[in-house]
Amino acid sequence: MTTVAIEPASVAQPKLALVSRALRRIGFLPALLIVLIVLLVLFEPRFMGMFNIFNVARNSSALLIVASGQMLVLVVGGFDLSVGAVIALTSVVTAKVMAVMLEGAPEDVTLAIIAGVAAGMGCGFVTGLINGACVAFLRISPFMVTLGTSSIATGVALLLTNGIPVYGMPDAFVKDFGRAIWFGLPMPVYVSLSILVLVWIMQRRTTVGRYIHAIGGNVQAAMVSGVNTNFYLILAYTLCGMLASLTSLLLTARLGSGQATMSGNLMLESIAAGVIAGVSLRGGVGRVEMVALSALFLSILTNAMNLLKVNSKIQTIFMGIIVVAAVALDELAKRRSRSAREG
Amino acid sequence: MFPAPAPSRGGGRFTEAVNSMNEHDGNLLELTGISKRFPGVLALDNVDFDLRHGEVHVLFGENGAGKSTLINVIAGTFGPDSGRFLYQGREIRKLTPHQARVMGISPVFQEFSLVPEMTVDENLFLGRERSRFTFLNKRAMRAKAREVIAELGFNLDPTRKVGSLSRAHQQMVEIAKALLTDVRLLILDEPTASLTEAETIKLFALIDRLRAQGVGIIYVSHRMGEIKQIADRISVLRDGRKIATVRSDEISETELVELMAGRKIEVLFPHVDHRPAEDLLEVRNLTLASGSVKDVTFHARAGEITGIAGLVGCGKSELIRAVFGLDPVESGTVLLYGKETSSFKPTAMLRAGVCYFPSDRVAEGLALARPVRENVSMAALDLPEFAKGQVIRRKEEKKTIQDIVDRLKLRPPQIEPAVGRLSGGNRQKVVLGRGLAREIRVFLFDEPTVGIDVGAKLEVYELMKLLLEMGAAIVLVSSELPEVLHLSNRLYVMHHARMVAELTGQDINEQAVLACFFREDAPNAGSDEVPAERAVASAA
Amino acid sequence: MSEPSAAGAKLSSGQALAAFMVRHGLIIALVVMEIGFAIVEPLVLSPGNLLNIIQQTSYIAVFAAAQMVVIVTRGFDLSLGTTVSAVSVASALVMTGMVANGSTNMPVIMLMGMLTGLGLGLAVGLFNGICVSVLNVNAFVTTLGSLNICFGIATTISDGRPVFDVPREFSGLLYSGTILGVPAPVIIAIVVLIAIHLMLTWTVFGRSLYLIGGNPRAAALAGLPSKRYLTTAYVVCSLLAAVGALMLTARTGSGEPNLGGNVTLQSIAAAVIGGVSLRGGVGGTYAAVLGALFVTALSNCMGLARIDGYIQQIILGCVIIAAIFVDRLRTGAR
Repeated sequence: MTTVAIEPASVAQPKLALVSRALRRIGFLPALLIVLIVLLVLFEPRFMGMFNIFNVARNSSALLIVASGQMLVLVVGGFDLSVGAVIALTSVVTAKVMAVMLEGAPEDVTLAIIAGVAAGMGCGFVTGLINGACVAFLRISPFMVTLGTSSIATGVALLLTNGIPVYGMPDAFVKDFGRAIWFGLPMPVYVSLSILVLVWIMQRRTTVGRYIHAIGGNVQAAMVSGVNTNFYLILAYTLCGMLASLTSLLLTARLGSGQATMSGNLMLESIAAGVIAGVSLRGGVGRVEMVALSALFLSILTNAMNLLKVNSKIQTIFMGIIVVAAVALDELAKRRSRSAREG
Repeated sequence: MFPAPAPSRGGGRFTEAVNSMNEHDGNLLELTGISKRFPGVLALDNVDFDLRHGEVHVLFGENGAGKSTLINVIAGTFGPDSGRFLYQGREIRKLTPHQARVMGISPVFQEFSLVPEMTVDENLFLGRERSRFTFLNKRAMRAKAREVIAELGFNLDPTRKVGSLSRAHQQMVEIAKALLTDVRLLILDEPTASLTEAETIKLFALIDRLRAQGVGIIYVSHRMGEIKQIADRISVLRDGRKIATVRSDEISETELVELMAGRKIEVLFPHVDHRPAEDLLEVRNLTLASGSVKDVTFHARAGEITGIAGLVGCGKSELIRAVFGLDPVESGTVLLYGKETSSFKPTAMLRAGVCYFPSDRVAEGLALARPVRENVSMAALDLPEFAKGQVIRRKEEKKTIQDIVDRLKLRPPQIEPAVGRLSGGNRQKVVLGRGLAREIRVFLFDEPTVGIDVGAKLEVYELMKLLLEMGAAIVLVSSELPEVLHLSNRLYVMHHARMVAELTGQDINEQAVLACFFREDAPNAGSDEVPAERAVASAA
Repeated sequence: MSEPSAAGAKLSSGQALAAFMVRHGLIIALVVMEIGFAIVEPLVLSPGNLLNIIQQTSYIAVFAAAQMVVIVTRGFDLSLGTTVSAVSVASALVMTGMVANGSTNMPVIMLMGMLTGLGLGLAVGLFNGICVSVLNVNAFVTTLGSLNICFGIATTISDGRPVFDVPREFSGLLYSGTILGVPAPVIIAIVVLIAIHLMLTWTVFGRSLYLIGGNPRAAALAGLPSKRYLTTAYVVCSLLAAVGALMLTARTGSGEPNLGGNVTLQSIAAAVIGGVSLRGGVGGTYAAVLGALFVTALSNCMGLARIDGYIQQIILGCVIIAAIFVDRLRTGAR
C-alpha cells in the first residue's frame, strides 16, 4: 500500500529560490524597470536624447495621473471604464468654454482659463459622481455603470464637436502652461509628482485612504465599524473622474485643441498600470507608488517599441497580452504563496 | 482599568449625559414585542427581552431559534418589523450599526467584522481613528492598541495582518475591537468556540471585570458548562419565540435543554438502530497541505453513524472535505470499500458513491436562481438515467426528481420554483436530495442541521435513519454536541487538527467530549496556527 | 433576496401591476415606443420598416446570444466587437487572396473564407476561455486584453483599410439570398438561435453553464467539469461572433477593420435588457432575442425620427443603466 504523497508546491530548486528571494527584496516591477532602462541605454542611443526623455516624461505623467485615479476605484473593488470618455469630454468642454469666453471678451484671458478649467474638471466630477452614486445606492455593477456613462460621455463629446477638433484656446493656456518647461522638465512632470505625493499621503496618512482600503477589503466590516461606505465609494469614483479630467487638461493644453478622440488607449493603459502594480481586482490592495512605477514602465516600454519602429497596431496586441499576463502571473503567485504558507 | 474612557469624538460627553439620567434605572436595554420577518421565515415573533446594568444575560437556543436575529437587531444590523426598543430609558428608532457603537453597544459576532488586508491595530481603530483633519495619528493608535491588548492579556502583535492570523487570534482582535471604546452593552456570540481553555479563562475574568463596572453583557452560547458558570439570567428562544427568562441558579441543565428543544430530548433525536457491517471508508494518517488536519486516522462502517465532534476550526470539516477532494491532501491513504483511492476529486468520489453535503448551503451547495429540479440532479448529470451522452432526458429527470422531492417531503412539493424562494430547512432537503439522485453509499454530512428549524431537523434525522437501513455509511460532522452525542454509534473527537479520541457505547457523553477539548492545551497553544482565511472571506 | 415570499402572501393590485410591469416591462416598453414614434413618424410602423427591423435584429440577436452564453456563467466578453472585426477582415482577405491567385472555384473559396473566420473565432474563444477558467484571470481583464489583441490583428492584417472585392457570391449566399422568400440572415439567425436554445436547455453542457453561473462552488462540489465547460462557453461565444461577422461581411461586401465598433456594447446591452442577469445563472435565448429586438427597434425608431447619431449613443448608455436597474428590481437587490 503506497501513500498518497502530493508534493508541496513550495519545494523549488535552490537556485530559483535565491533569484526569487532577491526579486522579492527589490520587487519584481522595479527590477523589470531597471533591466528595461539598462537595455535601452546600452543598445538604443536615441533613448537618452533630450527630446525622447521629455516625451517619455510627459506620457508617463499623463498615465500616472489617470492610473492613480483608476487605482482608487480598483481599491474599493470596482473599475472605471469611463475614464477614456471623461478625458475626451473634458478636452472638448474645456476648449469650447475657453474659445467661447475669449470670443465674448478677448481681453479676459484669466477668466476664460479659469472657466474652462472649472468646466473641464466639472465633467470628471459629474461623471464620477454619477458612477459612484449608481454603484453605491443602486448597487449596479461598476462594469455596466461605467460602460453606460462611457457611452453617454463619448456621445456628448461628439455631439458638441461633431468630431471636429475645437481650436481657439488662449496662448497663455497652451504655450505658457501646456508646453511649458519648468526647471528643465516639462510641466506635467511636476503636476503628476504632486498628485503622486498627495495620493500617497491620502492613502497612508488619512482616514480617507484607510476607509477606501477597508471598503475594498471587507465592505461589511467597514459598514458595521461605522464607516460611511456609500460616501467613500462615491468619493473614490469622483476622485477618479477628476483625475481623468486633470489628465485631459494637461493633454489638451499641450495639444492646443480640444478633441473628442483624445483618450486613445488611456483607459486600457490605466487599468494595465494598476494591474501590473499589483492592485487587486478584488479590492483592498494597491499602492500608488507602485502604480507610478508601472506607469513609468509602460511608457518606457511603449517608447522602446516606437524607437524600434514596432507598428502601433502590434503595440496594441502587445499591451493586451501584457495585461492578461500580469494578472495571470499575479494569480499564480497568489496560489503559490497560499500553498507555501499553508504547507 | 477597563474599559478605558475613549477620548474620541464626544463619545465621553454623550455617556456622561446619559449616566446622569439613567444611573438609577434598572434596565440598560428593554425590548418589547420585537418581531422580524425574513422571506419565508418569521425569525422573531413578539419577543420581549431586557438587560440590566452589570449582568450577564445568556441567550440560549438552537441554531435558527432567533438568537442571532435578536442580537443583530440590538446591534443595529437591521431594524425590527415591529416592537419597542428602549436603550438607557430612551426609545431608539432606525438604529444603524454605527449609531449603536457610538451609544456604547459593541457586538462581537461569529462572522468577524475584520478587514483581512489590514493590520490588527488598523482593524481595532477602523471607523474611529485618532485623527486630526482626517490625518491619522498612527503612533498614538499603535500605542493604544498595544495597551489594550496587554490589558486583555491577549498574545497579539498589532502590526500583523489580520488575514494571516488564526481564527482564535481573529476572535481576540474582534473582542479587543469591541472593548476599545467606552462600552455599555457588550454582545458576545459564542466567543469561546475557537478559544483554548487558557484564553477562555482570561475572557471570563474580563467579563467579570466588565460586569463589576456595570456593563450589560448579552452572551450567546450552547455550552452548558460555561452558561452555568457566568450567567446571571438566561433567556431561552425557540422558533423565534422567547420561551422563558430564568435566573441561572434556579434551573437545572436538563430543564434548560428541555426548554430549548420544547420536548423531551429523547423525542428530539429519533432512536437509531445501528447495525455496523463492513468498512466502507477508511482514512489512514491523513495530513492536509493546509495543516488543518494532521495525521488523522478513522473509519466509517456501513449501517452506522460515525460522529466527529470538535470545536470550530479544529479541522473536522476540512477532514471530510479533503476526503471528497476539496482540500489538498499532503500525505495519507484513503480506502473505499477496502481499496485504495488515489483520485481525490469530487467527480471521481461521486462515481465511487461518496457524497459530501456542505455546511454552508448558500455558498457551496445551491445555485439559488435555478429551480429545485436542476439543483437536485446537479451531481448526477453523468448518469444514463439523467442524460444520454450530452442530451438531457428531461421527462425522466422530472419524474425521478419529483419522486425524490416527495420522499423528502419538500414544502411545497414542487420541482420548478427557484431554490432561493425556499426556507433553510427546505434548502437543506434539496441538497440532501442529491444523495438520492444517484447511488451513494458513503454520506459525509458537514453540520447538516445548521440554520434549519426543529421540524426540518427531525426530518433530516429520519432521512439518516432511512439511509442507514439502506446500508449506507454516514459520517456526521457537527459542532452541535447533543446531535453527535445522540446520533453517533461511534464518536471521534478532533482537537487542534488531530484526532484525540474515539468514544463508543457508554463513553459517548458530554463530559468525555469536553474533556478532550481541554486536555492538552498549553497556555499559549494559540501559536499552533491555522490560517483562517476562509473564516474572514466568508464574513466578507 | 428580499423577494416577496411566494407562499400565501397576497399581493395588492398595485403590487400585482408592478410585478406585471417588471416581468413584461420590455414588451410593453417596445410597444409603447413603437407607437410613440409612429405618432411622430408614421413610417415606423410601415410593413417595409418592420421587415427591416426584423432583418437587422437577426444580426444583433446572434451577437446577443453569443454574449448571453458567457454572461450566464458570470462572465462577459468585451472582445466580441473586435473579434467581429478581425474575423471580417481575415475571411475577406482569404477570399480576395484566393480570387487574386486565380482560383475560380467559388464554393471552395467561400468555404475557405468561412473556415478562416470560424477558425479565428475558435482561437479567440480558446484564449479567453483558458485564461478565465484555467489561469483564473478575471473575465474583464481577459477580454479587455483580447479586445486589444483582436483590434491589433484586424488593423494590422488589413493595414487599417477595408478589404474590398469580396466575391459577390458570398453576399449572395449570406445576405441577399432567400429561401421561400425569407432572407438569408433571418434564416441563419433562426437556425443559430434554435441551436443555442437546444444547447442550453437539452444538453448537460448547457445545464451546467447555468449551474456554474448560479454558484461556481456548488458546481465544483457537484463534480461538474467547470473548467472544460467554461472554456467551451467562451469558444461558443466567439464562434457565434464569427458567424455574425461573416453575415455582416456579406452585407457590407467588404472586410471592415471597424465592423465590430458598437457590437460589444450593443450585444451586452441587448442581453442585459432582455433579462440576462450579470450575476449569472439567469437568462435564455428568448431574453437575448427580445433584448436584440428592443435595441434594434430603438435605434431604428431614432434613425427614422432623425435623431442625431451621437444622441443615439447617449440614449443607449442611459437605456443600459436603466436596464440594469430594472434587473436589480426584478431579482431583488441586496
